[in-house]
Amino acid sequence: MKKIFLKKGALEISFGWLFAIIIGGVVIFSAIFLSSKITDSSDEIVSAEIGKEINILLNPLETSFETAQTTSIVLTTETRINNLCSDGTPFGKQSLRIDQKRLNEWTNTDIKTNSYSKYIFSKDQTEGKKFYIFSKPFNFPFKVADLIYLTSAEEFYCFKNAPDSVKKEISELDQENLILENCTDEHIKICFSGNNCDVNVKYREGYLEKDNEKIYFENVGESDALMYGAIFADKDIYECQVKRLMMRLEELCYIYYNKEIANNKVGCEGSVSTELIQLKVLAGNFENSSGIKSIGLVAEDVEKKNRIGRCSLW
Amino acid sequence: MVIDLFKLNRKGQMKIQQMAFMLIAITILFVLVGVFFLAISLQDLKKTATGLEKENVRFLVSKLANSPEFSCGNAFGNSLDNCIDFDKLMILRKESDKYNNFWGVTKIYVRKICPEDETICTEENYPNCGMIKILDKNVNSTGFSSNFVSLCRKEKGKNLLYDKCEIALLMIASEDKG
Repeated sequence: MKKIFLKKGALEISFGWLFAIIIGGVVIFSAIFLSSKITDSSDEIVSAEIGKEINILLNPLETSFETAQTTSIVLTTETRINNLCSDGTPFGKQSLRIDQKRLNEWTNTDIKTNSYSKYIFSKDQTEGKKFYIFSKPFNFPFKVADLIYLTSAEEFYCFKNAPDSVKKEISELDQENLILENCTDEHIKICFSGNNCDVNVKYREGYLEKDNEKIYFENVGESDALMYGAIFADKDIYECQVKRLMMRLEELCYIYYNKEIANNKVGCEGSVSTELIQLKVLAGNFENSSGIKSIGLVAEDVEKKNRIGRCSLW
Repeated sequence: MVIDLFKLNRKGQMKIQQMAFMLIAITILFVLVGVFFLAISLQDLKKTATGLEKENVRFLVSKLANSPEFSCGNAFGNSLDNCIDFDKLMILRKESDKYNNFWGVTKIYVRKICPEDETICTEENYPNCGMIKILDKNVNSTGFSSNFVSLCRKEKGKNLLYDKCEIALLMIASEDKG
């Protein structure tokens, strides 16, 4: 009996050692598990902070009047901006989710930064270290919102045979990735005549063709805000943002309708209310961009009536 | 060599107990250190969140007057910057449920400062009042950020209709997450 215990050659692991190995393993496993969790949550924190900061940086782009303006965002690491749009009531939601490249792999977080007053037109995913952003007011016929167009500095958009107004605007923007001449094969070609480009814009007809799909736009007055949205955004993002814009338009119609009532009490004698109600109903029933043309026609009527009135509503 | 197995067993048990206590103590130490660092980083995170909210408010207060729900547009002559339409505000006040989360802030007030008047605006006393509360969420808020604006409306004179603009303060506060 004694000999068995003292016999050499068998694996001599005492219970103490076995216990230490098991508990040590548990401790080390817990440490690794916790540190990986902490790394994940720090990725989420970084993602949330960058998303929030981008949202804040976009605030000054929502400016007062007329002209388009451009700015850029430069990040230290390769970043992917995921544009998420939802059109729930009352005004839909604009969300951004930021993924960054770490050790050649994209971090994958579920953290989104939300905004209800912004309308960002971009691809579903925009990648790069530098991003260009420009904004334009969307008037339909009164100002509804400022539209924000987000593109990666790595993607160049070449505008061919663009109308003078578009050419003028692009050259005034002076944004490096928007060019008007010397298109190369790497550039995304936007053509205003012909059918063999990445994006074929039928400017007068009010639609463009991209990825074998038609996207409709309509401009009241001289602004091409929706057309740029259709060029830079993926179709799902574009449709969702236009739906959100129509939701805001519906509410603004209600505000202007009541403003006319208030104005008439002090003697303004305005008469836009019928058309405003019509516009409000159409905006409320908006389903997709193919119906934007008919809403645009009513918006033009509203604009005409407002212009001839004694007191302008906007 | 004769070994007292009973003695060896007791000695081994003591060692196991020692090691078990040691390992538990080390684990508790690591947990405590982890909790301590987590608490510090969480505190920093709350500060960062509040800081970002404040930054958002600072940017927002400078441009909110020009958003379509507030702006005068061309209704009072040429397009005026930082001009708020008083009539629109009175309508917007009643629509605050819809705009509850729209600008991501907790309070939006407009207060006339010239002439100063603290009377809260209602349907009954408009336009003879001085404070319009567009949004007033009942949550812990940061201090107000403010910006000077013109508060304009149409006014009926003896024989003519004219634009009346007064100086006001647009005040915004956000949620204090700290």
